[in-house]
Amino acid sequence: MNRLKKYKLFFLLLSLLFLPACKKDTPLQEVNIDNTTVYKPTPYKIQAPWYFPTQMNIPADNPLTVEGIALGRMLFYDRRMSGRQAVDSQMCCATCHLQEHAFECGLDGPFVNGQPIGIGGVPTPHVMLPLVNLVWQNNGYLWNGLIRPENPVTSKRRLEDLVWMGVVAPHEMYSDTNKARAAIQNIPGYKPLFVKAFGTGNITFELMAKAIAQFIRSIVSCNSKFDKYLLGETSLTASESNGFVLFVTEQGADCFHCHGGEGNPLFSTYLFYNNGKDTVFNDPRDRYAVTGNPADHGAYKAPSLRNCELTGPYMHDGRYTTLDQVIDFYSEGLVGSPYVSPLMHKINAGGAHLTMQQKADLKAFLLTLTDNDLLTNPAYSSPVTFP
Amino acid sequence: MRRFRPILIPLVFIALLYSCKRDTPIVITPVYHGNISFQFAHDVNGQPLIADTMLYTNAAGNNYLVTNVQYFISDVVLHKDDGTLVSFVAPNDVHYLDTDISSTWNWTVPDSIPAGNYTSISFTFGLNEIKNQSNAFLNPPESDMWWPEFLGGGYHYMKLNGKWDSAGSLNPFGFHLGIGQTYAHNVINVDSITGFVQNYFTVTLPASAFTINKSKTTKVEIVMNIESWFETPNVWNFNYWGGSIMQNQTAMHTVAENGADVFTIGYIHY
Repeated sequence: MNRLKKYKLFFLLLSLLFLPACKKDTPLQEVNIDNTTVYKPTPYKIQAPWYFPTQMNIPADNPLTVEGIALGRMLFYDRRMSGRQAVDSQMCCATCHLQEHAFECGLDGPFVNGQPIGIGGVPTPHVMLPLVNLVWQNNGYLWNGLIRPENPVTSKRRLEDLVWMGVVAPHEMYSDTNKARAAIQNIPGYKPLFVKAFGTGNITFELMAKAIAQFIRSIVSCNSKFDKYLLGETSLTASESNGFVLFVTEQGADCFHCHGGEGNPLFSTYLFYNNGKDTVFNDPRDRYAVTGNPADHGAYKAPSLRNCELTGPYMHDGRYTTLDQVIDFYSEGLVGSPYVSPLMHKINAGGAHLTMQQKADLKAFLLTLTDNDLLTNPAYSSPVTFP
Repeated sequence: MRRFRPILIPLVFIALLYSCKRDTPIVITPVYHGNISFQFAHDVNGQPLIADTMLYTNAAGNNYLVTNVQYFISDVVLHKDDGTLVSFVAPNDVHYLDTDISSTWNWTVPDSIPAGNYTSISFTFGLNEIKNQSNAFLNPPESDMWWPEFLGGGYHYMKLNGKWDSAGSLNPFGFHLGIGQTYAHNVINVDSITGFVQNYFTVTLPASAFTINKSKTTKVEIVMNIESWFETPNVWNFNYWGGSIMQNQTAMHTVAENGADVFTIGYIHY
């Protein structure tokens, strides 16, 4: 008996040590909505290799859940969400954001030269950026980082806000959020999906945007040949390896200061640089338009190079259609101005002056960043049936 | 009784718990604690840095501007007047500074610091070979400082970016300090690398005596004089060295030598 008591004490002490480990950060409450549909969302965890960032850009009021992502995927691919009646003018996110192009439109997609044009006939101010790995992007969305938490315009701060912007913009869906909401409200099968995802069948556009943002945050690219190389599962060819060296050396092609590499597997800092494309800057949507800092004239976000094989056209204005043209630009085509980033340290030589072989090697390395899993993963594909 | 008695394990455990209790109080001087915080400022010869503006002239006569400075300091040591050394527990043994990120300009160290008089402050500029491991920092902004494995791995100790004016032409410079390389026959190519060189160095802040008071935070301002990177002991002439140092160990060594005296104490507030 005495011995049993001592054990009890010991295990009591031991269990005290483990108590704090059981505390939940954000308990998702379970609610019985109407005796038939239970709201008990399942937390969703992003899966990525160990060398990816651990901090993610997920708002506290829109945590990732299996049910929220499933609903978001449905809406992402449902053309009725544009709120239009005429079937041939209905649009959804996936009308332009194509999985086979890393969720850009691509050169051979629906638009000539990859320049998106909205249903109203208006071209988008810039070409597209991929909807991939946004869960790790913290420096603002769009080419100039306009959509950011500190934006004085409170309605343009979140990924969720880009959903309504896409619905209303004349160069995109050119609809309105009331029509979009009504279209989804009028489809009875959606109500239980909202209940499962958000605990309410009262469908609002904000909840639609939240669900779509959850789906987009779940789109992850981390299984390219280069990832397998980092994980020791494959080796690079001699040409790819030479290209890798060029990519990450200052006296080589010096790509890595802005575009990452093995130490920054996102393949971008997502910071803003004037990379020496022009001498005159009058785009009302460059980084200067956001910061007002004259040093930011002609600066744009460095896009991730993951899947760059599929994300042409390149640069904010889509001026290059092939990776070869982009490599030629960084090799010989740089032009100086007072606004060029100091990281473009070969600006006065016009570029890195790569040989034909070096260019081929660099391209071979860039092609190792293509992730076929991203392009075919059924979790990111269109649902077969809709509500 | 040679048989193993599991009962002994919890007994020993409990005994250990109580072993610290003293029967008769020993009179000792109580150790009080306070805290320390650091504020970082970036000057050029006594004036706050104005970025992206061609305002400065270095000792070699080069006109230059500074875009931004990013760097690590690590292994801060507080030297107590009784000879003891106080350091901070990981992860507080590394701090990242970025002139573009205001939240990095203030570093309130969570560690409790024994109260008393201290004679000086020293730290490592950059990261020593134990700390400077690739993928030690997985998140930006620190991860953006990564240094390619081919060139020695780990992280940039510093990126000091700007431009200098050479006969009316703007040239970019990047003081990208980190692990250096030695190249066979001076062929700057990763296949020619014969070895790596640690370039981190110790900074002892001049006139850095201070006091930690019981339950109070001592605020110490650390000032980097950017011009000091270009002089003492070596006059740095951009027209001779060019703007890149990352694959030039002689240049990195020259910069590292100049770095020993770039930091001073601004104010100490109690």
